[in-house]
Amino acid sequence: MARNVIFLSGTILIGWLAGAGIGAASDRVQPNEAAERVDRMLASELPRSGPSALLANDEVFIRRVTLDLLGQSPTPEDVVLFSVDDGAHKRQELIERLLNDSRFGENWGRYWRDVIFYRKTEERALFSAEICAKYLADELNRNASWDQIATAFITATGDVSERGNTGLIMAQGGKPEEVVSEVSRIFLGIQIQCAQCHDHPTDRWKREQFHELAAFFPRVAVRRDMSTQPPKFTVVVNDREQFMPRRPNANQRQIGTPEHRMPDKDDPSARGTVMQPVFFLTSQSLKTGTKDSERRDALAEWITSTSNPWFAKAYVNRIWSELVGEGFYEPVDDLGPDRQCTAPATIDYLAARFADSGYDTRWLFHTIMLTEAYQRVSLARHHPDAAPFQANVPQRLRGDQIFSQISNLFGITDSGVPAGAGARPAMMNRSPRFQFNSIFGYDPSAPRDEIAGSIPQALVLMNHNLIRQGVDARRGILASLLGSIKNDDELVIELYLRGLSRQPSDEELDVCRKYIREIGNRGEAFEDILWSLVNSTEFLHRR
Amino acid sequence: MNVEIHRETEIELRHGHTVGRREFFRRITLSAGAAGFLSWSDLVTAKADQIRKDGRACILLWMQGGPSQFETFSPKPGHENGGETKAIDTQTEGIQFSENLPELSRVTEDLCLIRSMTSKEGNHPRATYLLHTGYLPTASLKYPTLGSLVARELSDKSFDLPSFVRVGRGRQGNDSAGFLGVEYDPFVIGDPNRLPDNTTLPTDDRRFQRRLRLLGRLETDYANRGGKQQVVDHEKLYAKASKMVLSSRMEAFDVNREPSTVREAYGSGDFATGCLLARRLVEAGVTFVEVTAGNWDTHDDNFDRCRKLCGDIDRPFAQLIRDLRQRGLLDKTLVVWMGEFGRTPKINPRGGRDHYPRAFDVVLAGAGVRGGQVIGRTDAAGADVKDEPVAVNDLFQTLCHGLNIDANQENMSSIGRPIKVVDGGRVVSKAFG
Repeated sequence: MARNVIFLSGTILIGWLAGAGIGAASDRVQPNEAAERVDRMLASELPRSGPSALLANDEVFIRRVTLDLLGQSPTPEDVVLFSVDDGAHKRQELIERLLNDSRFGENWGRYWRDVIFYRKTEERALFSAEICAKYLADELNRNASWDQIATAFITATGDVSERGNTGLIMAQGGKPEEVVSEVSRIFLGIQIQCAQCHDHPTDRWKREQFHELAAFFPRVAVRRDMSTQPPKFTVVVNDREQFMPRRPNANQRQIGTPEHRMPDKDDPSARGTVMQPVFFLTSQSLKTGTKDSERRDALAEWITSTSNPWFAKAYVNRIWSELVGEGFYEPVDDLGPDRQCTAPATIDYLAARFADSGYDTRWLFHTIMLTEAYQRVSLARHHPDAAPFQANVPQRLRGDQIFSQISNLFGITDSGVPAGAGARPAMMNRSPRFQFNSIFGYDPSAPRDEIAGSIPQALVLMNHNLIRQGVDARRGILASLLGSIKNDDELVIELYLRGLSRQPSDEELDVCRKYIREIGNRGEAFEDILWSLVNSTEFLHRR
Repeated sequence: MNVEIHRETEIELRHGHTVGRREFFRRITLSAGAAGFLSWSDLVTAKADQIRKDGRACILLWMQGGPSQFETFSPKPGHENGGETKAIDTQTEGIQFSENLPELSRVTEDLCLIRSMTSKEGNHPRATYLLHTGYLPTASLKYPTLGSLVARELSDKSFDLPSFVRVGRGRQGNDSAGFLGVEYDPFVIGDPNRLPDNTTLPTDDRRFQRRLRLLGRLETDYANRGGKQQVVDHEKLYAKASKMVLSSRMEAFDVNREPSTVREAYGSGDFATGCLLARRLVEAGVTFVEVTAGNWDTHDDNFDRCRKLCGDIDRPFAQLIRDLRQRGLLDKTLVVWMGEFGRTPKINPRGGRDHYPRAFDVVLAGAGVRGGQVIGRTDAAGADVKDEPVAVNDLFQTLCHGLNIDANQENMSSIGRPIKVVDGGRVVSKAFG
């Protein structure tokens, strides 16, 4: 509880320092208050077919929260201590403690890296992915607000290997059409890119509006300097009067153009129409001829303004969906304006309070994690006709989370890429985490129930050298545990705690006992048990 | 004899205690030796027809980036849009290819060239998706890619290798089995020169089987607590993965087993190895193999780059056709060459060509396709389709026809909406007669 007071007074102080306008301290609602309100609103807003699921037990809860916040499982000590703690506020205290762990930023930095880079249209952007993840981690860990982060990505310039906030522009090779599509998708939850070529068939956006949005970015480009090794990429801005000519669709975009032109549909070779920068949601506009910095500053300001509800809603929907297992809107990055929402009043409330908090990402995590909707046991995804949010939905872990579990379990060093200049794709490709991600990773914006396991994933877990060595009874973790724990039941429990962060059920313990007897070789039997835990469905999911 | 070996494999797997792979091979080799002349590949070839429904298979040669029709199969030497690319005569009178494809010009009797493909999608990932699924990407529904559709229709579920293999790097787009489910996802091989990763067991086969049984028993708890569907999917996946690593047919992935004369005939490079691998896999019973050649996105320096790119595909593609024919596989194997779109007739200031979906080429061969013909044409400038336009759904209808797949049947999607294999379109019947 004491920690809670300190944490809140700290943020209040920041709120005061931020001054007038958004996030004023008096507007901030306490997370537990907001959480209760959310549960009440959901109860009244959703049709109910039966009672909601019970709250998850402590073992499920601590693994869920730790995976969700830190991207890895709790240690056996954490699990045991949490289970025996009978403090009334232990769940809230755990959430607060983990929110202040630097692995929170690391985990969510990787998450947003994936959001950005799974949609990259510029293959060479791959080398900047880790730089971007590191940047995001640092920003999240210093508690930068979501509007600050969004603004930094929208207004980025400079050396891609030094400035991680160039990631979004780099991932799209600086092409205005692609960059604004991603800005709109990620920060507003609006899929305006379909209006690029034609008026949107199911949305109200017109082709002109898409190109007016692109008109905030024409002067931006990604310049490639091949004379250095590795080649250097820079997000550059050109505000000069004279511009090099550029053809639409060119994939070598090394220099900007003064204005964005909407191509002529009937004549792709024509120069097209010059577009004025206009923000489609508010119709706020700039004149053609405006300098780049003014364009992008204005766009960032209009997007992140508290008078624009989409910005907060898009973030809330995404984080809610990640934590509760299903979103108010699905897919997470397609909010409308003409999409169905399962509980519109609730998300509006949560988005408004998130904006009041000054877009404090920790506030939102804290609040959602205190709701019953989050804390319930997990059940299979509900039938489309049944009410949502009556139970948490099991989530398949992301590649990074699975790799962290394996590296923690077997004590494998995580040789990530050193960020900054000199980071090369070749170096990155050798990192076990990177290789692992290329097999287990998925686009976090894709509907989660469509993410399925693959044969190569099964083959890695079955046969890869890391696993083979990890389960070897003659070395490493299993060797030392076999030496120090002589009682078989205790050793089974220990392996379950390490692998799945819980105790085995009676049936599981029984299966293992029989197996050990049947095999007759203690080392071999425990190798097989540990192998089975790593290869289990539960190991790859958080429930 | 083939049947006998087949039964033996099945029985061993069903009882869960296989003989070691090496010993199994020794047995096959012995029996083959007894027969006097049968090689391993003879054995699997004989079997391949029994594995696939009707023995049909498909090889998709995917040209990522959008290959220039002008520098490949539809040169326009008389027009300024044709640029510096010259045309050469082919084996078939009246058909000319670009000078970049001398080897393919010698196998035209087996090729059916469509010069009137037309679509409206000029964005790489979206067009890649469209030409693979027949549908444009939507947020709500993931349509299955061609390989998954074909694998589902034609492959035998008990086959122990993946029925859909995708070879090569540098592919854009995220088309997969979509709502058909993980079973029909492509098995991806980045480097065709190496065996697929992690297919060597760390323990002996018996121990491996034992582990799988233990794993099965330990899954109950999670299944009972909300994870039932995931456990079912996971078990399916593990059954498939373990059947595969234990399979004698894994040798099909090893191109190094081919005699050097055969390897040389295909030429060098990853695409060449990919084509050879595709032939081995089809021979072994794999239903669908997709081989990618990348970097066709020639916005600049189009002519030099296309020369080199064509050099990478010309010989392997031509040899694949010859090889399939010689082995009697071409009659039932549909070979498709295509990319996501073509390139602009006009040459841009950097000597490049930009994206152009309005008129481009697709090449078909095998599976009843009549070779030695061209379908459709463009105007003199190469800007518009003049005759017999072929839309993406027409192409998909045609592919289905060649593979004996009913294009109008419906698959149930994840959101409970039935989706036709192909949405509209008509078979280009001329391709077959």
